[in-house]
Amino acid sequence: MINPLYRLENLQVNYGDRLALDIERLEIAPGSILGLEGPNGSGKSTLLRILAFLEAPSRGFISFRGVPAAGANLLELRQQVTLLLQDPYLLRRSVFENVAYGLRARGNREGMRDRVFHSLEMVGLDPRDFAHRPWTALSGGEARRVALASRLAIRTPVLLLDEPTAGVDKGSAHLLKSAALKAREEWGATLVVVSHDMAWLGQVADSLLAFQDGRPGRSFVQNRFAGPWVAAEGGELWTMTLECGQVVTSTRPPSPAALGILDASDISVSIEKPHGLSARNALLVTILEMSLENGSGAVLLKGSCSSLVLTARLTHASAADLALVPGREAWFLFKASAFQWE
Amino acid sequence: MDFILEGFSQALALLLSGNPETWSAVDVTIRLTALSMFVSLLAGLPLGILLGTRDFPGRRLVRAVVDTCLALPTVVVGLLVYAFISRQGPLGSLDLLFSIRGMAIGQAILALPIVVALTASALEGADPRMLLTLQTLGTPPGRMVLGLLREVRFAVLAAAVTAYGRVVAEVGVSMMLGGNIKWHTRTITTAITLETGKGEFSMGIALGLVLLAISFILNGGLSFFRRRAAS
Repeated sequence: MINPLYRLENLQVNYGDRLALDIERLEIAPGSILGLEGPNGSGKSTLLRILAFLEAPSRGFISFRGVPAAGANLLELRQQVTLLLQDPYLLRRSVFENVAYGLRARGNREGMRDRVFHSLEMVGLDPRDFAHRPWTALSGGEARRVALASRLAIRTPVLLLDEPTAGVDKGSAHLLKSAALKAREEWGATLVVVSHDMAWLGQVADSLLAFQDGRPGRSFVQNRFAGPWVAAEGGELWTMTLECGQVVTSTRPPSPAALGILDASDISVSIEKPHGLSARNALLVTILEMSLENGSGAVLLKGSCSSLVLTARLTHASAADLALVPGREAWFLFKASAFQWE
Repeated sequence: MDFILEGFSQALALLLSGNPETWSAVDVTIRLTALSMFVSLLAGLPLGILLGTRDFPGRRLVRAVVDTCLALPTVVVGLLVYAFISRQGPLGSLDLLFSIRGMAIGQAILALPIVVALTASALEGADPRMLLTLQTLGTPPGRMVLGLLREVRFAVLAAAVTAYGRVVAEVGVSMMLGGNIKWHTRTITTAITLETGKGEFSMGIALGLVLLAISFILNGGLSFFRRRAAS
């Protein structure tokens, strides 16, 4: 990876005798969205605090934009990163003042009203209805969206989200996802997102890192298909219809609401619609981007089918043969039996 | 009973007629307490924030000392400050004895532990995410104090009102350091003490009514701000 935004080496965080975080090496590319998953207490939130420069590691090295964090100006570092807490806290003031706070703290008053209103719109809140409300007049989901809007308003290069969809309804989760993606679209923000909501995380993140006992596991790319699945062909095969209208077929899931996980390596790619293949699934997607996977040398090909973004992993030679470019249509092929279930 | 009722009617007459001696005590009291509160808040709020948000060696001992000072007897404070600002004392040359500035030093010492302890308690009891939120929004250290104070503003206002209640009602410091000099250092409380001793209930009651009015206005104002912020 050329010029990573963050670089962590041999980094450890200890709380007393307990090892909370142990990372041998981790690099985060600018403009990427990294998803962190794992059980409670596995080190995800500790990593976010380290990345937000709220906490110093017990030992090891962390650099930001090539500059070692140790000895750097802490305020300057913190002003480039913002963290949405798992259980966000709203300041005891109006919605407008909450969203404007970070701008005021930076002395950035130019166009403040427009930026506050735009940030509220990004999270799906009507500024004319919400801006004047006190912090006490919001539901849990609205408060979470206001907290995110206050982070979006300051347009930091890095946005860290800790369980952004915990305790919110599907509609709010969708709005939070859209807002997170807009942050990358509008100002190229780098996002690190912790979530137990694997379907949500799979739709948002470019790559995922699984944590266990403070250690990150192999970086892998998975595609997630949240149910409901409907029985077809006598119950041996099941289907689900995507937002784009195309149908995905799988073998029998453990339950109709099961989450189907498809490894990026199980998808093959064709530029013409194939015939006579054993794979039951052929999805027409528009290629969004291609990137070199860190470490493996494989090419990650991201294609969209309406709002669903799927990632396929190809060898370098396959990618070259297909002559794919962003914007071109291609077929993503995978077997009905390729799904694993959660 | 009649002399009490008569005292009330004469008290109202004194207040409404603008009796100079009565209003001089009110004027001295307001100027004195404003000065002592200014000093105690200026020193007490940063110390309270430090004690309520930072962990440092000896913090528990400092907290115990501050809590103990909440019950400082006014005459003991008066005695100690007297020793420092009297002619023979180390600050004798500053000519502070029997002046409003000298009295304000004593009153500020009385109010300081209240401001420090209640501000620290407000921050210790505040939501732990508050500080984290201000940090994650990139608050510079200079604004952090203001940000924290604004978040716990009602608790800080309550601390200030409590401290004001202590200084406006005390007698010992004002009597010992001010000398109860008519037109100069005579406060509401020292005037009440003197006039009651002389059997002049009317002025004592008049000044007592002013004290109650001050207390009512302060507490009413605090309740008003709370209600307005929550609506």
